[in-house]
Amino acid sequence: MPKHYRPAGKKKEGNAARYMTRSQALKSLQVNLNLFRRLCIVKGIFPREPKKKVKGNHHTYYHVKDISFLQHEPLLEKFREIKTYQKKVQKAKAKKNEELARLLLTRQPTYKLDRLIRERYPTFIDALRDLDDCLTMVHLFAVLPASDRENLEVKRVHNCRRLSHEWQAYISRTHALRKVFVSVKGIYYQAELEGQKITWLTPHAIQQVFTNDVDFGVLLTFLEFYETLLAFTNFKLYHSLNVKYPPILDSRLEALAADLYALSRYIDASSRGMTVEPKVDASSSSQSNDRAESELRLAQLQHQLPSSEPGALMHLVADKEVEEDEETRACKSLFKDLKFFLSREVPRESLLFVLPAFGGTVSWEGEGAPFKEDDESITHHIIDKPSAGHMYLSREYVQPQWIYDCVNARIILPTEKYLVGRIPPPHLSPFVDNEAEGYVPDYAETIKRLQAAARNDVLPLPGVGKEDLEDPQNLLYAGFMSRTEEIEAAENKKTMAEREKQYHEELKKELKKEVTGSVVDDVAAPVVEEGEGEESSVPDAAQIAQDTADMPTLMMSRKKRKLYDAMKIGQKKKSESVERIKQRKKNLKADQ
Amino acid sequence: MTKKKSEAANEDQTRDTKKKSVSAVKSSQKEKPVLAKQVKSSKEEEDLLLDSATDSDYDGDSLSGSLNSDDFDSDVFDSEDDASQKETEGGDKDSSEDELELHGNEDSDDDDEGEQVDSENDEEDGSDEEREVAEESDSSEDEVAPRNTVGDVPLEWYKDEKHIGYDITGKKITKKEKQDKLDSFLANMDDSKNWRKIYDEYNDEEVELTKEESKLIRRMLKGEAPHADFDPYAPYVDWFKWDDAIHPLSSAPEPKRRFIPSKWEAKKVVKYVRAIRKGLIKFDKPEEEPNVYLLWGDDSASDQKSKHLTYIPPPKLKLPGHEESYNPSLEYIPTEEEKAAYELMYEEDRPKFIPKRFTSLRSIPAYENALKESFDRCLDLYLCPRVRKKRVGAHSIINIDPESLKPKLPSRKDLRPYPNSCYLEYKGHTGAVTSVSPDCSGQWIASGSADGSVRIWEVETGRCLKVWQFKEAVKCVAWNPLPDFPILAVAIGQDLVILNTELGTDEEQQKIEELLRLGTLPEQDEAVAAIVSWLPDETYGGIKIKHFKNISYVDWHPRGDYLSAVMSAGETRGVVIHQLSMHKTQRLPIKMRGLPVCTLFHPTHRGMFIIATKKNVRVFNLQKRELAIKKLETGLREISSMAIHPGGDNLIVGSKEGKMCWFDMDLSSKPYKTLKNHPKDITNVAFHRSYPLFASCSEDSTAYVFHGKVYSDLNENPLIVPLEILRGHSTSSNRGVLDCKFHPRQPWLFTAGADSVIKLYCH
Repeated sequence: MPKHYRPAGKKKEGNAARYMTRSQALKSLQVNLNLFRRLCIVKGIFPREPKKKVKGNHHTYYHVKDISFLQHEPLLEKFREIKTYQKKVQKAKAKKNEELARLLLTRQPTYKLDRLIRERYPTFIDALRDLDDCLTMVHLFAVLPASDRENLEVKRVHNCRRLSHEWQAYISRTHALRKVFVSVKGIYYQAELEGQKITWLTPHAIQQVFTNDVDFGVLLTFLEFYETLLAFTNFKLYHSLNVKYPPILDSRLEALAADLYALSRYIDASSRGMTVEPKVDASSSSQSNDRAESELRLAQLQHQLPSSEPGALMHLVADKEVEEDEETRACKSLFKDLKFFLSREVPRESLLFVLPAFGGTVSWEGEGAPFKEDDESITHHIIDKPSAGHMYLSREYVQPQWIYDCVNARIILPTEKYLVGRIPPPHLSPFVDNEAEGYVPDYAETIKRLQAAARNDVLPLPGVGKEDLEDPQNLLYAGFMSRTEEIEAAENKKTMAEREKQYHEELKKELKKEVTGSVVDDVAAPVVEEGEGEESSVPDAAQIAQDTADMPTLMMSRKKRKLYDAMKIGQKKKSESVERIKQRKKNLKADQ
Repeated sequence: MTKKKSEAANEDQTRDTKKKSVSAVKSSQKEKPVLAKQVKSSKEEEDLLLDSATDSDYDGDSLSGSLNSDDFDSDVFDSEDDASQKETEGGDKDSSEDELELHGNEDSDDDDEGEQVDSENDEEDGSDEEREVAEESDSSEDEVAPRNTVGDVPLEWYKDEKHIGYDITGKKITKKEKQDKLDSFLANMDDSKNWRKIYDEYNDEEVELTKEESKLIRRMLKGEAPHADFDPYAPYVDWFKWDDAIHPLSSAPEPKRRFIPSKWEAKKVVKYVRAIRKGLIKFDKPEEEPNVYLLWGDDSASDQKSKHLTYIPPPKLKLPGHEESYNPSLEYIPTEEEKAAYELMYEEDRPKFIPKRFTSLRSIPAYENALKESFDRCLDLYLCPRVRKKRVGAHSIINIDPESLKPKLPSRKDLRPYPNSCYLEYKGHTGAVTSVSPDCSGQWIASGSADGSVRIWEVETGRCLKVWQFKEAVKCVAWNPLPDFPILAVAIGQDLVILNTELGTDEEQQKIEELLRLGTLPEQDEAVAAIVSWLPDETYGGIKIKHFKNISYVDWHPRGDYLSAVMSAGETRGVVIHQLSMHKTQRLPIKMRGLPVCTLFHPTHRGMFIIATKKNVRVFNLQKRELAIKKLETGLREISSMAIHPGGDNLIVGSKEGKMCWFDMDLSSKPYKTLKNHPKDITNVAFHRSYPLFASCSEDSTAYVFHGKVYSDLNENPLIVPLEILRGHSTSSNRGVLDCKFHPRQPWLFTAGADSVIKLYCH
């Protein structure tokens, strides 16, 4: 509605003027629901909750400003153009004018979303903050089978795959990965970039199934936006490493589905520049010298050009030294001197991502691997079979869970529980704060003990606990510390309270004595009782405490009081579930 | 000629197989009668008619073809022959070219056609032989008589049979055993050439394609000519011999249109030209712009404020806990009984995720809800209204400790003294104590009970001084607020009895006796006389004022001369005001809406009178006899009691739903604060005369003591702090504390319980 004209009967201000229902919005934008949905998704417009729902409770309300924002979106025009263009093509086809139809199809109007990304995420940090959903979706679509029925083209699946690998390569290269969790739903990763914690879920590398209860139109619209977003994000990230984007990969490795390895090599090659080049050469010449190899070299040489200016490289190196924080360094050196070999049945993509991210060297069974299984220097062989065939004595055969647990604990855990053929210890979520949850699983305790032991090994004075505690690096331990303090403080408080109570009681008794002394029985009245049934006048301490605690709730507004009650209920539920788990554990112990 | 030689060699090679192949051809002729006929006809005609180049390729070979189908058109059959030709020709290509050139030199004066014809003619004699050879050699090499003789019948007919047809001797051909899929897959993996094998349903056997055959098929799949050398766009060769022809083929004159440019074509051209000029047809593809670039180059430009609404980032998904692990601790996995219990739950109560345990990574199946969950998240993102999270302090509301929601109150220690512990109990009543009233000196306290007795106690000692026994339950007792008039107003049923407590000095006693002596009563209004009558009280020597209805509440004017009585009647009859000195009664000068619950004389302002009905509180000025000065909207369901601050500007109202409202009458007609402190009815509320204290008591047998400080500065709001919950009374017949009053001088509180006990709480 233009500012200067307000139809009679329309409200000027208030909720009725500020919000409109979805159907009103459709009408004012003159679009259909499908187009509106697309626009909303790419523009990031969402319904709002007006304080007063003028049209009723069962409507979706949009802010008028949001809708006028859509109205001025050039994309709206573009979508309309595309729609009319489609009609043209259809008409040509209907008139059997194949040539015209073909001609038209070659120059369909297209649109770009880059402006929208800039608009929605003015700074790079904003984009990183909202990257969770984007990454999860792109990773999901990277493993979906292409499907004609759902209008999911092979090209898009490949693009998703490429984007996800590029992202992983960057994270792995900068050692930004922090936590990994293998769940039933897939593998959760958490990375930390520019202070933002980015968590995403990748499905297990198994054929995914299409379900009928999803609308692929919605998903694909989201995916379209997310693909663009991730491409730009990757560009920015690669740019920060002085690596050209999009990367050109070794086609041989790509064909072997070792994209990630190819990518990491690419990044290495192009960010390190000349110094590394001979080594890459050597390795490549030692392998088969086919056309692809020379192409890669060509590509690498090409990409060195920008980074090989004298200033750039120095700048890069210097920058790196500064920005590496404590945690990154810890992550980088976790698997530093270890060499891993992946057996055929382990999730290769995941481990190829995780191991280099924590400083490990890794190879796999199959073509294109950097080193073979019979390499003497391999320290760990990752295997997920009930039994290994030929065993080398020089290396340890462990299950893949060991890696994930090590990563989460940030120490090298003893391998005996994870050896081949054993049932590994429980895999715990690194995202849970056990203390806050109120229940610490056994294995978490074990890991904590191991961590403490590892720390003591490192510290110059293993005996001094104080040093330990003041070690600022370790957040975990700090948490532990603060908790012990807390407990102490609570105990102190408790004893104080008890003393106080005792004092009060004594005081009261004295008072009572005085009273009884002063009271004089009189007249025929059967009366006069000095007033203390012990239990009645001095209610138990718990009651007093309860009263004292409840006192301020009286002064809360109704809204706050309701909120407070709801929170209390939530806390109760949580504690109940913890109780249930404890009970189960007790039962399990009893059964054994 | 070398070519001929090679062909002859070819002939030699194949000669021995010739006879056999002839028979084969004959047998196969039956299947391909059309082709055979063509071949025959071409043989017959070859002398008469000069074949086209394609035709010469065509002949002969036709009957070969390992694939037993008629679908292949004639081109298919060319290829074999051509291939063989190519092979043979390969060696002496140069020589044959020489030969051609030679020809060209010879007949250089001839036109093109003639040359062509010549060369063809040269070939002809050779090709005649070759054709035979090729024809026979083809069939002899590839064509094995089909084992099956059933002919072209649908194989479905043999679907359920053990045999697939009959061989040439009439014996049944039994089906081979089928390989199962796994075996065939393994075989496929082992044998790199397996992809060449094709299963021939008709003969029930596997045929292995040769390299050439597979190439041929590949080309056909692409839609090309099967023969690699075949040129579909060969220059046109006009084989017609014009030299000998004297007459034209047609004597019709050339039409005009052959000489003028086509109009339609011109139109078409114009159309295209226009389209090109307009830009409708473009020939060069638009330049590809790079679709990714450095979008966030410098963040300095981003500072500009966006004009639209602020963006609310979507809440992040909940991070998975231990129970979502693929290998959780055993205690996270619900037992069978629990799982069964989940089944019985409502769908929405049922846990969304039931933990499962897998002993190794390789045994984790695909998660079936992956797409669905992703979709749900998408729906949430674009369909759910987003609300900015409330922030309390620096934390978002979800992460805060609920305790931090509580308001910070001043320490109770600083607000002392206030009654907090029970100091004395006054026992003696046998029924619920309905009302207490301390005298203004604070030495005595009167109490009325449901058993019909009124007692006077000494506060400090708990000694019962006097007892009056009435026949009905005592509803309300009230001391006269004047210190030199120790008289008591007691509401019993319909009677309001003024009792002489006989406490003061002799002088005082004389005054009181004088006051209580009913001489000649003044003339009452008729309307008043109808509802109230003044009588002497025979039993205890006071005045008995008889009302037409039960009295529920009695209140003294601060000057001690007037007292009001409340009855449950509407309009002007609900409240009457008695004047003791004149022995006179007035009705309320104003009509009221609703039934009055309790009344109050304003402590400072003379003539101001406050009446609480069930819903509202109204303030009247009795002297001016006009409508209510003020109406306070409580918003409560049913008012039960009311008390006024000694300053006179603040009022508290207790209700039967357990709520207490504090009104600042200067501020607003709406409550300044509403406290919901009692789960049950509030029976009474009270203000202390000098200390900033107020209290409420309720049927839930508790009493609350609050600090209620009123500042003289009008800008400052009253400070209300809950101080203490006084427990101690026990519930009897579902009633708790029925009355509470403050001691007039000390910060002490008297509570009257339904358990027939009066308690004194001290600081």
